[in-house]
Amino acid sequence: MKRKLFAMLGIAMVVVAAAFAAALTGSSDAATHHAAKSVTINLYASGDVNVQSLWQDHLIPGFEKANPGIKVNLIFSEHGTNDTATLARIGAAVKQRKWPGIDLVDGGLVTTLATDGLNQPVTKASAPNIKLLDQTLLTSVKGAAIPYRGSSVVLAYDSTNVANPPKTLSALLAWIKAHPGKFTYNTPASGGSGYSFAETVVDSLLPQSVITQMDQGYPQQLESQWKQGFDLLHSLNSSVYQGVYPTGNQAVLDLLAKGQIWMAPVWSDQSLTALKNGQLPKTIKLTQISNPSFTGGAAYLGVPKTAKNKADVYKFVNYVLSPAAQTQIINIMSGFPALPLKYLPKAIQNQFADVSANTLRPTYSQKTQSDFKAAWQQQVP
Amino acid sequence: MSAVESEGVVLGGLGEAELPVAAAARGPRTSMRSVGMRMLGGLFVVCLLVFMIGPIVWLGLRAFSGLWQFPQLLPKQWTVAGWRTVFKDPNLSHSMKLSFEFAPVVTLASAAICLPAAYAFSRFRFPGRRVLLISLFATNAFPKIGLYIAMAGVFYSLNLMGTFLGVVIVQLIGTVVFMTWIPTAAFSAIPRSLEEAARDVGAGPLRVFFRVTFPLAAPAILVAMILSFLAAFDEAQGTFLVGVPNYITMPTEMYTLVLNYPEQVAAVFAMLLAVPSVVLMSLARKHVMGGKLAEGFQIR
Amino acid sequence: MVLPPVGVIAVFIGFPVGAAIAYTLGKTGGPNSVMSLLAQHEHVAKHGVTTAPYREMLSNPSVREDLWSTVWVTIVTVVVVVLVSWGIALYLRLNDTWLARTVSGLSVVPLFIPVVIASYSIAIFWGPDGFLRSVAYHLGYHGFPSLGFTLTCVVLAEIWVNIPFGVLMMSSGLNSVPNALIEAGRDSGASMPRVVRSILLPMNVIPTVIVATFTGIYVLGSFTVPYLTGPTQPNLLGPTMSNFFTAFSQPQQAEVLAMIVFVLALALGTAYVWANIRASKRAGATS
Repeated sequence: MKRKLFAMLGIAMVVVAAAFAAALTGSSDAATHHAAKSVTINLYASGDVNVQSLWQDHLIPGFEKANPGIKVNLIFSEHGTNDTATLARIGAAVKQRKWPGIDLVDGGLVTTLATDGLNQPVTKASAPNIKLLDQTLLTSVKGAAIPYRGSSVVLAYDSTNVANPPKTLSALLAWIKAHPGKFTYNTPASGGSGYSFAETVVDSLLPQSVITQMDQGYPQQLESQWKQGFDLLHSLNSSVYQGVYPTGNQAVLDLLAKGQIWMAPVWSDQSLTALKNGQLPKTIKLTQISNPSFTGGAAYLGVPKTAKNKADVYKFVNYVLSPAAQTQIINIMSGFPALPLKYLPKAIQNQFADVSANTLRPTYSQKTQSDFKAAWQQQVP
Repeated sequence: MSAVESEGVVLGGLGEAELPVAAAARGPRTSMRSVGMRMLGGLFVVCLLVFMIGPIVWLGLRAFSGLWQFPQLLPKQWTVAGWRTVFKDPNLSHSMKLSFEFAPVVTLASAAICLPAAYAFSRFRFPGRRVLLISLFATNAFPKIGLYIAMAGVFYSLNLMGTFLGVVIVQLIGTVVFMTWIPTAAFSAIPRSLEEAARDVGAGPLRVFFRVTFPLAAPAILVAMILSFLAAFDEAQGTFLVGVPNYITMPTEMYTLVLNYPEQVAAVFAMLLAVPSVVLMSLARKHVMGGKLAEGFQIR
Repeated sequence: MVLPPVGVIAVFIGFPVGAAIAYTLGKTGGPNSVMSLLAQHEHVAKHGVTTAPYREMLSNPSVREDLWSTVWVTIVTVVVVVLVSWGIALYLRLNDTWLARTVSGLSVVPLFIPVVIASYSIAIFWGPDGFLRSVAYHLGYHGFPSLGFTLTCVVLAEIWVNIPFGVLMMSSGLNSVPNALIEAGRDSGASMPRVVRSILLPMNVIPTVIVATFTGIYVLGSFTVPYLTGPTQPNLLGPTMSNFFTAFSQPQQAEVLAMIVFVLALALGTAYVWANIRASKRAGATS
């Protein structure tokens, strides 16, 4: 018995020593590789899996092919789970003027980084394509975050069970009450589709002036006006599937796919991709409501103040904003381009010809969003 | 525990030393009662089986399912499409490799720094001994999520962020309790008389340790190492905090994989990710079940 | 010799814990300045310390709900785990049959399954299209409740995750009672239940306390299990803490919750330490 024990320990130690040696030589190999002319940009992206695929399979290979000598290393993380750790990392690094290990960030945390002054504002000189963007998208983030794509939240419904989907918000609310257990939305804290639904319901009871202030600034004193909207949402609790609000956008899509619910707010790009892949049955269709429509959102890229190889990072940002990359975003991810339509190929312009102007209704500024999510948690479930 | 009892424990239970007395004959029980008891016991076992193994089996089925809707008990369509999606993922094998690189290193490093301390805790009666032992345990009770930002600051000022050593330290922190408490108890259970006897015949202190003390404490130390390995293996958030960009291990991927993909694919990932732990533990099951665990957590 | 592990813990955990405590009392400078940068709705102490963060959180009704849920889920889990562990360990101790060994082998399975996967599979298993609900449907009972994403599911999952440690601990404790003692009891005419009550139980108070406190501390601080199996509101303090940190950008409030969990865990830990010290005093300090 003792001999077996020692043998096991001995083997374990050999394995460890080998692994250690491998790890050390591995990292030194990487070091020499860096010394030989190639630059690595570390991109941290947080979101749903279609975002991962967009970067990994399309944007990064395209950029690397056009720029030999620059490699992009993608670090992907599920919507929000590692955002706190990444924020902590970047915050601590910028404060101590050290490299945070990340040179470019894509995800919900970028707007927080921007408003808290942890991002390097990207000038039009370093990434010329920024000039072409709709400049109002840059005001709430003080130019320290660059929108690179958009997505809108739409209403998905099961066409076999829902012959005539509601076209306005009030019709939708009436439908939900008339069909208890057939609708749900995820918690605003865990996913943008549920957040959009909640904000849209609350916005429907607010004057436009208040909404605009909340989109562009942080008017804490006006937040008490959300109460009416939250009471309305609270009244939906008994009509929502199982009385529970799922965690995350994907969970809601799963419920739709399994036929447990008949209608839900979903991200347009995520659901279009899922329909293409067969993960959502073809009987699920998408529509938009009006009065008001669901909010959309721009996804932002940010460059931490102490990132490395900033010139190459700006090149990458510029590439992502180029018409070629933007076309890819539309075709592969079914997303909205950040670049105005007039700079894109004719075919794309025709595609978007009958998309109504208010499909990308803006959403609240970052800090207001945080307060909204907190208030939802206290007042609705 | 008295010296006799502790020796008995070390040798594997006094049960092995009992005298060969025949068990007193018992009369036949009422058959109804025993049948009833057996059925109840059987029912309990079945319930336990369903409760413990059911979820895993259910998940396993889902990994192969195509179309499966309530209330069918089995999928209507079977497919391996989920598996194909998974194996196309390039990150999976890389992070699995990393997990297997870190966990053994962490376990051995933890053993290297904690075993001497455990020996000291057990043999030397210095003031504050109990307080230190307890504080090692108490600091683990603070929810880690509340510590990340401050920890990031500490790691940055020591230039440990993003380094191999930094990740080792983060994972090591979670193993310290196992590697100090259990070996301390194991060392305490070895009678000093044995060590003194060895020393009397001329063996030096290191020789005494490796030939007398360590072999007797080895089973318990092995248990501690296995628990530490698993703790290091499963460490997710702290590893991500420190390990970006080069050292992303498996558990960190796990949240992403399980929550981000449709259920079938998530089920496949889940099965794959459970395999390493299962293999490991089936190898070491005998020792873990052996019985050294309870003494490991007693403070003396 | 003791310095290395103590040093590592002191620097990498002890110091951040100290900083966190200071932060909850309103000290936002120094090591807390980064957190402060990201914070909304912060309470800053002008001079000295402030208890405003604590007052705010403890007067928040949904936080109070979460706190209460955490406490009762912990208590229920601990009681069930202790009872089940005792049951299985006793069964194994008193009948060395293949069935007993299988049962105890099964009960240790959760130790090898990563907790993310375990929670995920339990949520599906007990959920609206899970095994039990499907079986009940086939047996004609259409109204079987769906337990996924309820506090009940959290309790079931926490029990599932903590049984292995309980069984290991209790069987280890029961194994250290020599057979001779049990035989002696039977020979003097005591029935098996009496033997359990008078011999096995008193000799295994410490392992029982260990199981209870370790399970309790685990459940108090758990995040993954309630996050994946729990309802929207109320849930345990773990996911709530995470929400305050990430979604609501209120790290100070999140740290307050962390402190509450820490204090509760310390209370359990104290009970455990006290029980140990009493036991070793009674055993007559031979070590």
